[in-house]
Amino acid sequence: MKFNFFHLMPWTDYPREPTEWPVSNKDFEPERGRQLYADYIDCMAYAEQCGFDSIGCNEHHFSPYGLMSNPNLIGAALVHRTKRVNLAMLGNLVPLLNPVRVAEEYAMLDVMSGGRVIAGMMRGIPHEYIAYNVPPSDSRERLREAVALILKAWTEPEPFGWEGQFYQFPAVSIWPRPYQKPHPRLLMSGTNEESVEFVAQHKAKLGIVLIADLAVARANIDLYYKVARSYGWEPVPEDILIGHHTCIADTDEEAREHMRKGLDYFHHILMRPQRSAQELVIKKTRYYQREESSEKFQARLATLRARSLEEQIEAGSVYCGSPETVVAQIRRVHKALGHGTEQFTMKVGNMPDKVVRRGMELFRDRVQPALKDL
Amino acid sequence: MPFERQELSLPSGKLSYFVAGAGAPLLYLHPAGGFSVSQPLEALSTRYKVFAPVTPGFDGTAPHESVRSMEQLADLAARFADKVIGERCDVIGQSFGGWEALWLAVKHPEKLDHLVLEAPAGVPAGGKGGLPSDPAEARRKLFAHPDRALPMTKPIEQLQGNRRMLDHYRAASLSDGALPARVAAIKSPTLILMGTKDEIIPPETGRFLKAQIAGSHLAYVYDAAHVIQSDQPERFLRLVSSFLERGDAYIVNWGASAASAIPGGLG
Repeated sequence: MKFNFFHLMPWTDYPREPTEWPVSNKDFEPERGRQLYADYIDCMAYAEQCGFDSIGCNEHHFSPYGLMSNPNLIGAALVHRTKRVNLAMLGNLVPLLNPVRVAEEYAMLDVMSGGRVIAGMMRGIPHEYIAYNVPPSDSRERLREAVALILKAWTEPEPFGWEGQFYQFPAVSIWPRPYQKPHPRLLMSGTNEESVEFVAQHKAKLGIVLIADLAVARANIDLYYKVARSYGWEPVPEDILIGHHTCIADTDEEAREHMRKGLDYFHHILMRPQRSAQELVIKKTRYYQREESSEKFQARLATLRARSLEEQIEAGSVYCGSPETVVAQIRRVHKALGHGTEQFTMKVGNMPDKVVRRGMELFRDRVQPALKDL
Repeated sequence: MPFERQELSLPSGKLSYFVAGAGAPLLYLHPAGGFSVSQPLEALSTRYKVFAPVTPGFDGTAPHESVRSMEQLADLAARFADKVIGERCDVIGQSFGGWEALWLAVKHPEKLDHLVLEAPAGVPAGGKGGLPSDPAEARRKLFAHPDRALPMTKPIEQLQGNRRMLDHYRAASLSDGALPARVAAIKSPTLILMGTKDEIIPPETGRFLKAQIAGSHLAYVYDAAHVIQSDQPERFLRLVSSFLERGDAYIVNWGASAASAIPGGLG
């Protein structure tokens, strides 16, 4: 099993429950921000020493939820701080961006890192569309066209033009081209049937996070295999990334205390302002083209929020406990899903960095060695 | 749609008003220059029934002796809404009219649906801004694109009379001692429009209102001075019609369907 160390880069000192999105930035303190970036990048680079196989970056806008509005900048900072690990770029939010620029920046990272980029092609969570004023109703078609254009930009040997529905470029020939041949492996999110089909069609790795129900996740994975086979290829377990909020501490009690506090900040401060904006997008646009996908998304978030920590552990949504407890939890989820890549979000909300680092070391010393057979 | 002039008798005096169009009611509160029909207002009248009371004492009308402050003027607007409109309505207040609209929203929230404030006066401006007394200087600050301004058809005496009425309403300084502490009570969905080149009402005003009115939206209209409707009629109409149509959801880009939400056409 492969392990991805994922970081949201949250702002940890937001002083009150935010009531609106975008969140006013008057509470952002530059010096505190400088320190957070320094600490977070150190921590992410430390994941290599702790045995992780990749480090995950992603893209969010306009709130203390995450300070990584451009994940490629953090990827660039990590390139020279690491030697071995892959850089799992779980942004960019492709439909929001200039696809040629995405192709160029991923290619730069891939060349600079000697071919260590996993190229996330994400659609983003609904409210991000407000940030860059892109019609959410167009999101899926934009993603489809942008991914096609990016693949072309990476692989065409001669300059080419693109005349699409959303993008028109009379002449494209990016420098550099990617290091990997023919191009970096794609990774896409697949938490509903609509998106899983899209992922499989593109021979991309499948990413699933915020699991509320193992049976639903299993159904998506089965569909991924099925659609992949219909397109003539067979995924391997490593192609399936499952994300979990994770706290590993010396004892179960200690881990649960840290996790409770971290999740409380995560749900009540970091996630809170996004809910109303997400509802606007989901209810007022065709972000989800199938009605049931929209209902599932909102129900999943509400379910996760309402559950106690114990219920979330039981549901396979989070890992939390001593190394031995977490090993057992991972084995149980692995038995249900058969995935080959685990993603840990170990900085949960405002969890102290020393707790995160202790967890990373316990992972290195007592979790990963106990899972060698997976 | 042509605006028709009508008159209403109230206990405090006679009130002239203009009305045009058909549809949901929209109350327009004019600026210190008095009432005039801008392109966006005309376009809005294709989808809304626009009511525009003439502030007593402006445009040659008689002042009401018992109405001598912006707060009392808002009370008068509420009475007008009761008598003539008779239901909740959207409100656009421009500059001086924005000040009046703020008081209306504070004191008579039940009268309002959406509130649009175009470069509103009456709240703190960080010591900046203000209306120059020299007419040429004032005009320079009102418009970034004077060529787009409506032709000046009002007699000079009427314009001077309008200006004098600011004293009548204790509004000449463009600031209001009591209003700022009250605006946090506003619950109406609110859109605050500020021109990027406005030197009369500076950005501090928009920031103050945005911070005070929970859930409000602040939008800067690029390349507009104080009279946004005149400098950037299409941008003004696009924002206002989208906000009136969708409320808080106006921040979501609706793509091609958004175009159909813009009423009328700008000639």
